[in-house]
Amino acid sequence: MKNRLEEFRLQNRWTQQELADRVAVSRQTIISLENGRYNPSILLAFRLARLFNTPIENLFLYTEEEDHE
Amino acid sequence: MNNRTRWLLTKLRLGWAFLAAGLTVSLAGIFIGLEYDYLPYNFRVITGLGILLLGIGISYLVRYWAAQKDETAAQRAMVDERDERTQGIRARAGNRAYWVSAVMLYAGIMWAGMAANGSLPALAGDTLWYYLAAAVVIPFGVYIVSLVVAEHRS
Repeated sequence: MKNRLEEFRLQNRWTQQELADRVAVSRQTIISLENGRYNPSILLAFRLARLFNTPIENLFLYTEEEDHE
Repeated sequence: MNNRTRWLLTKLRLGWAFLAAGLTVSLAGIFIGLEYDYLPYNFRVITGLGILLLGIGISYLVRYWAAQKDETAAQRAMVDERDERTQGIRARAGNRAYWVSAVMLYAGIMWAGMAANGSLPALAGDTLWYYLAAAVVIPFGVYIVSLVVAEHRS
């Protein structure tokens, strides 16, 4: 699943470690999320969306095609 | 006492417990090996288990002792352990190791069953020992390799 995590993080001028600390995950998880190699749990997705004060679907971009891959 | 301190103390206690168990088991292995050297049993297996426990204890203490003095390090160590991606990777690796272990044990049971009616040679002595040792070591190896591969890929 694609996401705009890096874009939002850079807007806030946070490092990956700072973002990781704010949502209580490891830095490696943030790296994997930004690279699109890991899909977060619904709880983590909500935590990130709340942190950036944006709707979840604005941060994580779901496309139905991905379901069929 | 906050959550983080309690968690850290639990980890340190666990480290000390592993260390004590490791020392006891490895010394017991050495002592029994020296005292009962006439018994047809390789006591180095016990000593080896003790050394493994000792290693686990030391790794716990080294990791969490340093975190005790640094709040950020303690917080990150706690977060790392509870991290959902890490837990997912561990769960998948554990699942793979479980299936390898189950297949190996089932194959062992089938072999023993067929050996009982003479269709296959009996698993005994060194062969049996090596097979059982492999049934422990191979799933553990699969677990470690799965962890490394998943960490690398995701």
